[in-house]
Amino acid sequence: MAMTTDSHPLPIEHNPLASMPHDTHGGISNPVLGMLLFITSEVMFFGGLFAAYFSIRANAAQWPPINTETGQPFQLAILPFVGPATILLILSSVTCQYAVWMIRANDRTRFLRAMSVTVVLGAIFLLFQGIDYTILGSEGLTLSSGTYGTTYYTLTGFHGAHVFGGVIMLSVVLYRGMAGQFSAKHYDAVEAASLYWHFVDVVWILLFSLLYLLPGKTPTT
Amino acid sequence: MATTTLTPTIPAYRTGLYAWLTTTDHKKIGIMYVINSFVFFFIGGLLALGVRSELAQPGLQYLTDLQYNEFFSMHATFMIFLFVIPMLAGFGNYIVPLQIGAPDMAFPRINALSLWMLPLAGILLLLGFVTGGTAAAGWTSYAPLSEDRPLAATGYGQDLWIVALVLIGTSSILGSINFLVTMFKMRAPGMTLFRMPIMVWTVLVTSVLVLMATPVITSALIMLFIDRNYGGSFFDPSRGGDAILYQNIFWFYSHPAVYVMILPAMGMVSEILPVFSRKPLFGYKAFIFATAAIGALGFSVWAHHMFTTGAVYLPFFSIMTFLIAVPTGVKMFNWVFTMWGGQLMLKTPLLFAIGFLTMFLIGGINGAFSASVPVDFALHDTYWVVAHLHYVLFGGSVFGVMAGFYYWFPKMTGKMMNETLGKAQFVVMFIGFNLTFFPMHELGLAGMPRRIADYSSTAGWNDLNLLATFGGFTIATSMVLFLWNVFVSLRSGEPAGEDPWEGNTLEWATTSPPPAYNFDHLPEIRSERPVFDARHGRTATH
Amino acid sequence: MSSSPRSSASRTAIFALGVGAAIIVVSLVLLAFGVNVLKIGDTFVTGLFPPIAVTTEGAEIRDLYTVIFLIAVAIFLVVEGLIVWTVIRYRRKPGDDTLPPQIHGNNIAEFVWTVVPTLIVIFMFIVSWQTLNAVDTNASDAQTTKIRAVAGQFQWQFDYLDQNDKLLYTELLPMVSQGGGMMVPAGRTVQLSLVSHDVIHAFYVPQFLFKRDVVPGRTNQFDFTVDAADAGQTFRGQCAELCGTGHSIMLFEVKALAPQEFDTWLAGKAASSPPASQAPAPSGGSPAPSGGSPAPSGAAPSGAAPSGGAAGPTLNLAASNIQYTVKTLTAPAGAPLKIDFDNQDAGVPHNVTIHKGSPTGEQVFAGDIFPGVAKKTYNVPALTAGTYSYVCAVHPTTMIGTLTVQ
Repeated sequence: MAMTTDSHPLPIEHNPLASMPHDTHGGISNPVLGMLLFITSEVMFFGGLFAAYFSIRANAAQWPPINTETGQPFQLAILPFVGPATILLILSSVTCQYAVWMIRANDRTRFLRAMSVTVVLGAIFLLFQGIDYTILGSEGLTLSSGTYGTTYYTLTGFHGAHVFGGVIMLSVVLYRGMAGQFSAKHYDAVEAASLYWHFVDVVWILLFSLLYLLPGKTPTT
Repeated sequence: MATTTLTPTIPAYRTGLYAWLTTTDHKKIGIMYVINSFVFFFIGGLLALGVRSELAQPGLQYLTDLQYNEFFSMHATFMIFLFVIPMLAGFGNYIVPLQIGAPDMAFPRINALSLWMLPLAGILLLLGFVTGGTAAAGWTSYAPLSEDRPLAATGYGQDLWIVALVLIGTSSILGSINFLVTMFKMRAPGMTLFRMPIMVWTVLVTSVLVLMATPVITSALIMLFIDRNYGGSFFDPSRGGDAILYQNIFWFYSHPAVYVMILPAMGMVSEILPVFSRKPLFGYKAFIFATAAIGALGFSVWAHHMFTTGAVYLPFFSIMTFLIAVPTGVKMFNWVFTMWGGQLMLKTPLLFAIGFLTMFLIGGINGAFSASVPVDFALHDTYWVVAHLHYVLFGGSVFGVMAGFYYWFPKMTGKMMNETLGKAQFVVMFIGFNLTFFPMHELGLAGMPRRIADYSSTAGWNDLNLLATFGGFTIATSMVLFLWNVFVSLRSGEPAGEDPWEGNTLEWATTSPPPAYNFDHLPEIRSERPVFDARHGRTATH
Repeated sequence: MSSSPRSSASRTAIFALGVGAAIIVVSLVLLAFGVNVLKIGDTFVTGLFPPIAVTTEGAEIRDLYTVIFLIAVAIFLVVEGLIVWTVIRYRRKPGDDTLPPQIHGNNIAEFVWTVVPTLIVIFMFIVSWQTLNAVDTNASDAQTTKIRAVAGQFQWQFDYLDQNDKLLYTELLPMVSQGGGMMVPAGRTVQLSLVSHDVIHAFYVPQFLFKRDVVPGRTNQFDFTVDAADAGQTFRGQCAELCGTGHSIMLFEVKALAPQEFDTWLAGKAASSPPASQAPAPSGGSPAPSGGSPAPSGAAPSGAAPSGGAAGPTLNLAASNIQYTVKTLTAPAGAPLKIDFDNQDAGVPHNVTIHKGSPTGEQVFAGDIFPGVAKKTYNVPALTAGTYSYVCAVHPTTMIGTLTVQ
């Protein structure tokens, strides 16, 4: 007499081999390797945007170009928002790495604390960036303000979108951490997310240096 | 005490169509990739027949200028992005985990995501046909034409095209990550990197190319979208942008993309030739290095598509383009000498593989003409290039795909395909293909430019165009034979058994089709031909 | 699993394969070496060779092509021959199940077929580079004739410049058969600069074996010298970069004149139709100077004010996107009429010509050609009752309407 087991049906694709480790060659874990490869693709994506920026900048005699409304070159302000935002983002990478170290050491409390701080710092970065956008917009710099506006908003906008994605990712990690899913033996997702977050930070440092710190150029007449 | 037998029930929602739609099994996903790719192959083929019908005679008979531009733009778009690239990814999806002795891909759910993005993107592209027009600026969508709505008059078709391609690119990138992690981390014990089958190696190099190059076209497409919709100034000279910048970023991806489109097909041919010659692949390691060289060099030649712009450093790109012929030639010789001294079983997979060799050779040779800058000044943007690209993409990739399909259909379905129909398809396709594309060499030399809806009746191009159209319909006939063969074989093909071809690699060490977990047991892996070794004992000379 | 002995179906298939291959080979040989077989109009289809070049640069390119072609044929014969021979020689005999020698490779062979092809491609690169340096020149001396080809959607116009880049004359009609075309002095170097109003185009003359892109935002330039012996000939040209819906009709013709003839011709044009402005045509948006190009043919007056007769109506007509906005007009017979013509295509020249009956019928009126965005009023003399066509002389295939006079 057969007895069906409706409450615990076997998934049709459950199999002995699937329960074996998906990882026959040790070293970095699958999620971390996958994230590193993903970051590589993201580097190439930003590479295309940066290449466009460099090319446009190199071909321009005057950089930043003249704002036709004011008669002066476009200007970006590091204060009061972008500079502090940069510092906060760098700080958030530190707290993020600290969180990884803590979970590796099985210190769940410190891990959760550090990860929460990271998420908050990331959100503040986005907030400050948004405020800065409105200021720039009111000064006449928009996506359609010629090559300068187009490149500025495209570069920083896509970076901001990646920060946003990173904040979501870290929030998921935080949520899962609060649900007790991570420990010194299982923390691949934490490591992967933190690698992404560091990547986002490095891109910002490059962008900030390029857009805000690199001196402009005027035609030598 | 009575004993009870526990029989797990399979809930209804896990069977049939729903099982296929929700699966994360690489084999089902691979098959769906292949089906999806064939659907778009036929759509792209119909568009090609439309193009050829219009060009058969001088005068605009069936299409307006705009419709013609849409037809060839979408023909290439479907063929490149929804047929060749995903077809090869689909075969890779099915075969790679089997060939390395793994139970599935590293990220099965992402695998499913990659698959389903494709029909979605295809629908977006098709929507253009019913919403006022598709993209019509060529699959290359050069700016500023692709930004110029009024006289290009494509409505939102170009934007749909951009979004669809970004989706497809994302699908490809996710797939490449999946492949790389699978290949590096999930090989069966004993399978060192230099015992991986050649198919796996070509998918590996392809995945690196996809990973590194595809994001760059994503950036170009996004910049194009911003120019079109948000008043951006990247590529529009009237707003301070640079039209050539688009070409550079576009081709930085699109050239490596052609290697994405050929390398896995080369991998398939490299699996078939040894099996059907009953000898190992000649120069396995040299082949791997040649593949890696092609991948690396492939990133350094992109501006050979831009020789006539007057804006590129000609000598560098010319020498690199010439040099890439060397590893390709190495492979050609390796293939020929795999067959040399062998026992050739002239079945359909081998016939298509030989078709690949003979036709891809022509494609490589006529490419060398374009590598020479002054000759390219005469040949660029003429039908010569159309001949070249079809000899490598059809003569190469499509023949390779057909070879792989006939080779692995028994494994995927448990049934053999009909040999007579297969050989018939091969002959008709081979003849049709050459009738269509060989005359295009002459048309290009005589001065017929690409992408023209119509041509002057006094230019001297009438007869060759008519011949090419006849060839095109011959190809279509061969595809009817193919479909008939698939249908007939699925219904009543001979049972295949585990290993109908006396194969070399691990997929032949399991049932046809394989079970959900791929293998009940694995043979010992001591070379790149573990099943061959098992069949002949390790004493076979190695 | 052993392979089954070759069945009759398999034999038939191989026979068919052989026949098919033979057909292909014979056809390819015929196609390839049908040199000078098809001569239609002015163009030669010369099999697998480009046309005979009519410029010194083109001749160099053709010689280079020949070198590469010979190497290509040699490689083709060797490798294809090897493949075909291997397939025939090493076919498995029916019932033979022995394993052939399991050769894994040969390092010496790998070395040889890596090094030898490398040397071959380096050779091809070097000869190509030498030809490139000879062909892609950009010199300019007092003897050079300077012409500027201006491309727009969807037609060409040619600006003739003097040594200081001052504009002498603008030819608005691209075809010799329309009375236009690009005149060049045979035997003298021409420096051609390329400028686009809108999208990317390409200047391509098959008999020059040469093309160069016309990119908005950039001025490309190249030299060519038509052989003195080719004076009097006309060469067809065509845009070779997809530029939109009119790409396939963007034709032009180049006519080589003997140097003296060319000088006389240009001096005559410069005197009779001087350009309105001296500014060079810009790359990117603003209209070309509105030179007063003469009506292509016919004795009809060009915009002359009518004398006598009751004043007729004013018809409104506009050109937009290389189309007339109105395809049918009516007018009363016997009264002179005015046409208020609004050219809305920036930088694109249009006009209105009136023909009896069909667009190719006798021309009874031709208005001045002028580029947009601009308006002009044409004064058309009185017409007898009947059906007429009005056609744009610059775009005679796409801009056509019917004028009913009753």
